[in-house]
Amino acid sequence: MTATLLDPLESDVEGIAELASESIVILDPAGIIRYWNPAAERLFGWPALAVCGTDGAQLSPAPGDEANAWSQLLQEGAWEGRVRRRTRDGDVRVARVRRHLRYDGAGTLRDVVEYARAEPEAPGWAGAHDRVPDRSMAASWEIDVAPAADILARLAPRAPGADTSERDELLHGLVNAARIVEVNDRTARLVGGNRGRALMAGQSVAAFWPLESRTILANLILEARADREGRSVQRRLASDGILRDPLVTVWRAGDDRPDRLFVAVDGAADDDRSYLYLRASEARYRKLIHYMPVALWQVDASHMGKIYAQLRSRGVTDFAGHLDDHPELVEFAAASVPVTDVNRCAIELVGGASVQDLIRPVGYLFAESPDSLRRVMIGRFSGRKNYSEYMKIRALDGRLLDVRFSVTYPEPLLELDTTIFSLEDVTERLRIETELRQLQADFSHAARISTLGELTSSIAHEVNQPLAAIMTNAETSLRWLARDEPDIGKVAQLTTRIATSARRADDIVRRIRSMAVKQAPEPVPIALNDLVQESLLFVRHEIETRGIRVTTSYARRVPKIVGDRIQLQQVIVNLLINAAQAVEASCEADREIHIATRAGLKGEALFTLRDRGPGIDPDHLGHIFDGFFTTKPQGMGIGLAICRSIVAAHGGGVSASNHPEGGAEFRVRLPPARQAS
Amino acid sequence: MSHMPTVAIVDDDEAVREALGDLLMVSGLACECFEGAAEFLAARRVRQFDCLVTDIRMPGMSGIDLIERLRDERAGLPVIVLSSVLDEATRSHALAIGARAWLTKPVTDEHLLGALAQAIASSGSSSKR
Repeated sequence: MTATLLDPLESDVEGIAELASESIVILDPAGIIRYWNPAAERLFGWPALAVCGTDGAQLSPAPGDEANAWSQLLQEGAWEGRVRRRTRDGDVRVARVRRHLRYDGAGTLRDVVEYARAEPEAPGWAGAHDRVPDRSMAASWEIDVAPAADILARLAPRAPGADTSERDELLHGLVNAARIVEVNDRTARLVGGNRGRALMAGQSVAAFWPLESRTILANLILEARADREGRSVQRRLASDGILRDPLVTVWRAGDDRPDRLFVAVDGAADDDRSYLYLRASEARYRKLIHYMPVALWQVDASHMGKIYAQLRSRGVTDFAGHLDDHPELVEFAAASVPVTDVNRCAIELVGGASVQDLIRPVGYLFAESPDSLRRVMIGRFSGRKNYSEYMKIRALDGRLLDVRFSVTYPEPLLELDTTIFSLEDVTERLRIETELRQLQADFSHAARISTLGELTSSIAHEVNQPLAAIMTNAETSLRWLARDEPDIGKVAQLTTRIATSARRADDIVRRIRSMAVKQAPEPVPIALNDLVQESLLFVRHEIETRGIRVTTSYARRVPKIVGDRIQLQQVIVNLLINAAQAVEASCEADREIHIATRAGLKGEALFTLRDRGPGIDPDHLGHIFDGFFTTKPQGMGIGLAICRSIVAAHGGGVSASNHPEGGAEFRVRLPPARQAS
Repeated sequence: MSHMPTVAIVDDDEAVREALGDLLMVSGLACECFEGAAEFLAARRVRQFDCLVTDIRMPGMSGIDLIERLRDERAGLPVIVLSSVLDEATRSHALAIGARAWLTKPVTDEHLLGALAQAIASSGSSSKR
């Protein structure tokens, strides 16, 4: 008979349960006892035969308590607490009990498993427990009122109700000053947000205790302290949105620790959603956050939100200006906004040993770039949903990291005021980008030197012209001065010419030098038309001596571009030299290059260059921008490759085609400079 | 009466032309400047020159073309090249086709005037013969 009452799905567990020293009882969803092991017989004084098939609640001397515990169990999925059961002899046995719900494969409730041990101490258990007892799976607290010694001293002599408002103030002060020593998981879950138990320790009780019932708690503390025998005192509270009709019990920890008290709050969670569902969803969420491959910081900037609201109500609209006048507000935020949680990736990013290393006011994240915090604050003040920027942070092990910092601000209408920071380590990426930029700069520098090499004779000619004029003019001056009657007027004229030629030589040398020196690209706003004219200066002589005509058409409204002037000149110079070489062998009428600038349809700046040379072999069209592709016997084949790389680095493109009327056409497309906001 | 020798200067650079013109003037030589070979050839049809100083790299007709043209015309006009071209092949070619001297810019007045004196003297002696 007993066997049929056993859990049919776990019949081979039967033997194990039979031998267990802990009482094991299985009840069906209706509360009917279905299994009762030998340990249960010993503990509760009933043989299995007598109780299997009966309502378990009928064993309780207080059926109301049992009904409460049962409904809490069904709602929360587990229950832990004290159970009293009448024995066959009429005694009452007290046991510490854990009850768990079990579900079958289809997810419907199958049964309740109850484990129980004899309660080691009598009810009231004011003994010196080291841990906060998990009484009735209540939300329990251990608190320390030592910091409230002054307030307690002032409250002690007063009869309740002597001066209500002053007393109320003192009672609030008491809860405020009382510190949390420890709380259990349930308390942390119910009122701790997601700070976790460890983070609640040391904080003010008032930070977590509902405002409406703080005076009640304070009075209970006073009463519990006043009770000489250390008995517990209880009060039922109104539902507070956290628990339904919670019962608060307070008792002294023990005579050896006079300032410590235990607080237990019993009650079902006042929430329509099932506890199990919530718990599972929270666990999933936390796990997800914890293992997310992005470093996440959760911060509680709720008090800053209140400050911002106050500032707005005082008419502050220019928050940036306000922060200029009150830089201390940024420092205040750095020192007072706590980090409440971080994930694993965050710990790895800053090189911490544990969560605790990172749970500090947010200031440490902004030590290297205080202005970033200022911008983060401005972002929230101005009602943005998120904000992101690149900044530097100092890791805990001293490394300086480049990170992309993003913040997601709390939604104003949602109850939870949590701000999320995410940090992405971009140190390596920036390093590679810098290296690539350096390589590209080296490459284009090498190409420039090579171009200058091709232009050597032109350059020599160009520099020597003014030098020749200077030397001859100077020597002529000396001859005038050496005459019996020096012609000062003539000398003055010659000296003026010397100065003019010297300036000209200087201009040329300066231009050549800018092409020849190696320097990091420096983006500046550039007018495309100016750029083309400057580039023409380099090759003017080259083009003139080859008898090539250059016709130009500059559009008036060409968008400004941003880039490195020297590199972009290099592109145009290269294309011009290319074109000059292409038309060199043509008859005089065809020795022509046409260049034009205009605005593209998408707002970009366009430069086109068309020659009347033989054009590009269609087989080569796809390769002419490849490195080391050349059709010239002396060519290195890097000219056009470097053009493409420079233009690409500026976010643009270069293309080549054959014009339907003959000759090659090159187009350079460069994005417009972004309007400064 | 011995006429004042007239030197023609062909250079596309105005500053160079002006400087050379003034130097020759203070040295007691008459001179006329041209910004290109074509202008000089046109002037030569109506005027006599005793010497030509020319650049090599110029738009239009180059200095080499000009020397070849004069050689083909058997003009007998002494030519001095004053250029910044450093190419040895061009230099040898210019000298081979009849240039009297190849001077590199920038040039000292002594060098230029010395070369001019020699060129004019030789042309004078050749015309007497």
